[in-house]
Amino acid sequence: MPLLETIGVKVRFGGNIALDDVSISVEAGSVTGLIGPNGAGKTTLFNTITGLQPLTGGQIIFNDKDVTKEPPHKRTRMGLARTFQRLELFTTLSVRDNVRVAGEIRNRWSLRTPKMDVNAETDRIISLVGLNDVVDREVGEIPTGKARVVELARALMIQPTLVLLDEPASGQTEEETEQFGKLLRDLAGEGLGICLVEHDMALVMQVCETIHVLDFGRMIASGSAESVRNNPTVIDAYLGAPESVG
Amino acid sequence: MSEAHYHEDHGAVAGAPLIELVDVRAAYGTIEVLHGINLSVPQGSVVALLGPNGAGKSTILKVVSGLLQPTSGEVRLAGRVVNGASADELARIGLCTIPEGRGVFPNLTVRENLWMATMSGVSLADVEEIAYARFPRLGERRKQLAGTLSGGEQQMLSMARALSVNPSVLLLDELSMGLAPLVVANLYEVVAQVSQEGVSILVSEQFARTVLGIAQYAAIVLHGNISRVGTPAELEDELSAAYLGS
Amino acid sequence: MQTFLQYTILGLALGGAYFIAASGLVVTYTTSGIFNFAQGAIAMLAVFTYWQFRWGWGWPAPLALLMVLGILAPLLGAVLYQVVMKNLRGTSEVTKIIVSIGVMLGLQALATWVWSPTSSTPRQFQKFLGPKAFAHFGSLTVPWHIIISFIIAIAIAFGIRFLFVRTRSGVAMRAVVDDPELLQLNGGRPERLAMISWAGGSFLAALAGILIQPMIGSAMSAGALTLLVIDAFAAAMFGRLRSLPRTFMGALIIGLTTTYVVAYFPSKWTWSSSFRNSLPMIFLFIILLVLPQDRLRGATVLRLRERFRMPSIRTAWIAGLTMMIVVFCLKVIMAKTGVNTLTLALTFAIIALSLVLLTGFAGEINLAALSFGAIAVMVVYHFGVSGTGTAARTTLWGILLAAVVTALVGALIALPALRLRGLYLALATMAFGVFVSRMVLTERTEREIFGLKFTLFTAGQLAIPRPKIGPIDFNGQDAFLFLCAGLFVAIGIGMVYLRHSGYGRRLTAMKDSPAASATLGMSVVRLKLSIFMMSAAIAGIGGVMMAAQIGTVNADRFDIFLSLALMMITVVGGIGYVSGALFAGIFLIAFIEALNLLLKKFALDYSTLEAIFMFFVSAVTVLPATIGITMGKNPSGAVSDIAEGMNLVKQSKPLMITVLGLEAAIWALTATEVITNWNFVILTLANLILVPLVGGKFLMARAMRGVPKPVPPELIGIDRPFTDEDLAAMDHALNLESIVIPSSTTVREEPANASA
Repeated sequence: MPLLETIGVKVRFGGNIALDDVSISVEAGSVTGLIGPNGAGKTTLFNTITGLQPLTGGQIIFNDKDVTKEPPHKRTRMGLARTFQRLELFTTLSVRDNVRVAGEIRNRWSLRTPKMDVNAETDRIISLVGLNDVVDREVGEIPTGKARVVELARALMIQPTLVLLDEPASGQTEEETEQFGKLLRDLAGEGLGICLVEHDMALVMQVCETIHVLDFGRMIASGSAESVRNNPTVIDAYLGAPESVG
Repeated sequence: MSEAHYHEDHGAVAGAPLIELVDVRAAYGTIEVLHGINLSVPQGSVVALLGPNGAGKSTILKVVSGLLQPTSGEVRLAGRVVNGASADELARIGLCTIPEGRGVFPNLTVRENLWMATMSGVSLADVEEIAYARFPRLGERRKQLAGTLSGGEQQMLSMARALSVNPSVLLLDELSMGLAPLVVANLYEVVAQVSQEGVSILVSEQFARTVLGIAQYAAIVLHGNISRVGTPAELEDELSAAYLGS
Repeated sequence: MQTFLQYTILGLALGGAYFIAASGLVVTYTTSGIFNFAQGAIAMLAVFTYWQFRWGWGWPAPLALLMVLGILAPLLGAVLYQVVMKNLRGTSEVTKIIVSIGVMLGLQALATWVWSPTSSTPRQFQKFLGPKAFAHFGSLTVPWHIIISFIIAIAIAFGIRFLFVRTRSGVAMRAVVDDPELLQLNGGRPERLAMISWAGGSFLAALAGILIQPMIGSAMSAGALTLLVIDAFAAAMFGRLRSLPRTFMGALIIGLTTTYVVAYFPSKWTWSSSFRNSLPMIFLFIILLVLPQDRLRGATVLRLRERFRMPSIRTAWIAGLTMMIVVFCLKVIMAKTGVNTLTLALTFAIIALSLVLLTGFAGEINLAALSFGAIAVMVVYHFGVSGTGTAARTTLWGILLAAVVTALVGALIALPALRLRGLYLALATMAFGVFVSRMVLTERTEREIFGLKFTLFTAGQLAIPRPKIGPIDFNGQDAFLFLCAGLFVAIGIGMVYLRHSGYGRRLTAMKDSPAASATLGMSVVRLKLSIFMMSAAIAGIGGVMMAAQIGTVNADRFDIFLSLALMMITVVGGIGYVSGALFAGIFLIAFIEALNLLLKKFALDYSTLEAIFMFFVSAVTVLPATIGITMGKNPSGAVSDIAEGMNLVKQSKPLMITVLGLEAAIWALTATEVITNWNFVILTLANLILVPLVGGKFLMARAMRGVPKPVPPELIGIDRPFTDEDLAAMDHALNLESIVIPSSTTVREEPANASA
């Protein structure tokens, strides 16, 4: 049973179809890639999964439950976290407080939520993702690559079962990306489900077991990294169709 | 930096250059995204900017069109330095830019969209005549809101502007994004036609193959630098690696 | 039937005038993205100017109309855009709101300055074609000017439609709304279009004002006229600031319902005229409540990009202690009137604290802080006073009850806040404020509900005695001064604690990114409710203290314009800081008052220059608004330069010792009555502003010899913090939906400094 399933998700903006019949699934303990050219609908799909974007049709199943109608915060409380392509950090808080407040929000979900020791967990997560060197800086002052890691750290604070990462490596140096890839593998190894939207193909190919490819809001391929890389449809989607296809 | 020197750097590009970028750097706020771009578009030729998402293709076009001022370096149009000129000034002296996404006003009718094109000094009657002759479907929908047109029709509408305002330079940003191959082929036919009329064209494309057929030269943009300039034939092999990783 | 027709025609005419004003709002909002709070003030100014030409100077009506509508009003709009509004592109929504409120208050002050309301002859406005010009339709008699109004409204509606559909400039204005950048790529000039639209919007406001004034028929009053056109906000909102046909419908509905209320409500209902007056505000509130919810977006409309560095708790305690000492020192040398003014200033500072909490900490807006004060005062008046005559005292329980009641009302105002942000929330709270002024504070009649007899606002004024808390009687002025200072310090320190708590961080998270907060599982309902309640309670307590300082308050003390001015000055002072609130109170009450007195004293002392000094006395009334407007030119606030000097003082020991030493000397001289209080004020200002300025220049010069290295672009953000320009440029370049900006990174004065 997959952790997350989207069934025939459809989103329409005015006359334009942003997503058309998209069905993907993400398993626990694995990294699933979601790739496609610009404007293919990847971020829109994330928004529908997290509830920030209402859908025109289809269903979102998370943890065996239909969450299509649930508001964003309810979905999060079931264990769904995400990061944002356009950074959504708490810009007036320090790096540590950005991470810490996520734990504090989590402790307030409901009376029944088992409380965590926020300070201890903050320290653990910060050293886990490797933010120790910038921990007391304002988030506005740190480089984008680091800021994206803060977003991941914040998402991890709520102890999710599934994390959606929207272009987490953009702005990172090659070295940082490599470490980041290792981190993702480690997290998946501990049972976390990860769905990764990323343009850095090297990273995607390195960490993802399964890759879904979106193009024009449609799923055009899915499978292992190797099969996707050699899939002619995918190559066409990225490079444009050869003239003979017309 | 002298012109001769610059031509040596990037392989000879024949003909008098109509657009020239000399060591152009540009930044979004403090994040520098172009690290010294040298490029020239000879009179009457089509030059394609290729490369993955986020490499800086669109930024190059934004700089040329006047929407983004370079932080250093020079932009020359027909030998004149145009740094500091605003986008509307450039538009009125014969630069036509079709921006990324649909270059139309969604809440204006087709005819009203064409009306806006007349700000560069042509008459509405001429614009309409040329537009409807080349794209009869626009004529049928002249009273329809542009936002309700299909993606292809919207792109036709923005191309109609390029056709009818007699530009000396045409800038096209991701013309094919989100469009079916047949439509894209049709649009590029128009681009080729415009080019034959002596218009210099700079076009950015993620889908390399669609544009290589009509481009005389192509430049691969990677990480804010131009990594290679050459004829389409010379570059074909390198493209796959640039997009999908090796 | 006769009555029905009569009132229908009247309602249509009124609705027509509302539509004209509202269409102006829509036009300017769509092309420039700025909601023009000053629309009503422009209308008011036009009415006064027209009166001056027409009846003051006896010009013929066509000439006066041409001058006002054809030349002055469009000119005013164009100048406002070029000088003020243009600079607001890319600033935060709070700045936009504050600046246009500044314009509104400025125009109002200007009108009161030129056309003194205390003038002996009331200014009357006659109907077009004279008061006796009636048209007869069968048995129906209708004044001509009503017919003219309605015809003009229809003509304007068609005119605007023609403009927007049939002219290239009009179509281009619609194009600006869709995509200003694309219009530029087409060769269009969005800036020029925006200026034209402001000229047009201003023309429409002026026209609406001139049409409405004869309909109400009463003597002209700057405040009332400004508010009258604010009724048109509801109509504009009905069209969601976009659709003109819907705006037209909304305007007619409001015009008709208000006249029907007048026609059909039984005359024995004493509240029906208040109800009629507040109806547009009720409409506005309801429309805002049922407006479709904004999608949760990332960037909040209210994000204040400046990084307010919260002082540490230790700093807060030191500042609080310093403030108490300063207040004590001031009291020693001050005259009794001075102590009164200082106390009043502190009560306003307490009310301003509620704004800091709400806007600075939580990113919400409340434009009606004083209305909560009014509610608290009514509660105390009815339930919180023990004893009578000179022995009457406000009880602790009364104050607490008032806080609880205002908190509950605050929860009510939080309802729209659950769905709305930024401008819409600002308008909802403003509607609430005007509603309280028009409906609640006008309640002078005795009512009976469930056998309980009461009068809300007895006889138009309420006497609030000084409090007695436990054994301590705060009746004496000095004791009450210390109570207010202590209350301010206590609430201020409490707020710093709050900001450092988990609750404070969650507030900040909600303010900085609602989308991220939601995807971390935050439910904003409780958080928003609680912060609105807390803020309302603080405003309530401050209001009670204000009333207790004054003794007897009437409804004018809780005027919406005063609320707006307080909000504006708090933003100028630094809405993220406790000291910003102190600045607001001191500036708005004490500084203005002191300046006023000083200038009047000069006028007396130097009688040859009297005219000049009296001119400045009038100019002072425009000062707060002017400072608010400068937020547009310099979003870090007008005080940032002074604050920078203060920062230097903090960083440099010698400078600090110099300033403190000089200040102590000045104080000692005053305490021993060597120099007068006035000289104390002047010398203190000089000491606190000039010395840091001069010293700062000196220090800067010394520092420059050290390291003049520019920061390479890649290292900005690492080597030096991002400046607001960097961020703005980035936002703009990345095309973020709501571009947000700063008001200040530097406004960081300590309470002790600002209180001087």
